[in-house]
Amino acid sequence: MTSRLDSVDRSKGDRAKARAYGREFWPGMAAYALVLAAVLSWGGLDGHSSWRFVWALAPVLPAAWIARAVLRHVRRVDEYQKLLLLQSLAVGFAVAMLTAITLGFLGTAGLSLADAPWIVYGAGMLGWAVTGICAGRR
Amino acid sequence: MRGTTVRNRLRELRDARGWTQGALADRLDVSRQTVNALETGRYDPSLPLAFRIARLFGEPIEAIFDPDDATADAQSS
Repeated sequence: MTSRLDSVDRSKGDRAKARAYGREFWPGMAAYALVLAAVLSWGGLDGHSSWRFVWALAPVLPAAWIARAVLRHVRRVDEYQKLLLLQSLAVGFAVAMLTAITLGFLGTAGLSLADAPWIVYGAGMLGWAVTGICAGRR
Repeated sequence: MRGTTVRNRLRELRDARGWTQGALADRLDVSRQTVNALETGRYDPSLPLAFRIARLFGEPIEAIFDPDDATADAQSS
């Protein structure tokens, strides 16, 4: 029988930490989306102006803000959540490294992909996200 | 590989006080997920957290946490 004590509602502390994370993470994501839209609209990355390199680096600033938010969140959570978070980050890192090695050897063998860095990024993020979701359901 | 498993009386002690997992989590300054993992034996607490739990319930650590004797004996032999 399920009693009131079996409630799976988040605690006040959980909600406070989630709010603090959201306050730091979502402005970074919004800034990233805005900067990305600006770069794609006006950056002229496929042009010849030397300013295109400045435009190309612009999304790194909000991305660094997001990374800072994630690292601060890792420091904020408790020991068990830290373990789960670090496990998912480790899986994401391993997937990214394996993908990089795979693409690197394929490149050495003559099959080089122009979008290889984005494939590595996507694979790492996917590994992190899937492991994080699975760990969160435990 | 998992070492000696540790059983605990966390659920029993929490129920006796009429606390939800969230209420206990707030008292221990951990997440509800962590309390659930402790109660179901998926996670053994660090020493500082074990001391906080013992202090909260007013009992010595060894009265709350108990190493699984079968596993401990198998490892020592």
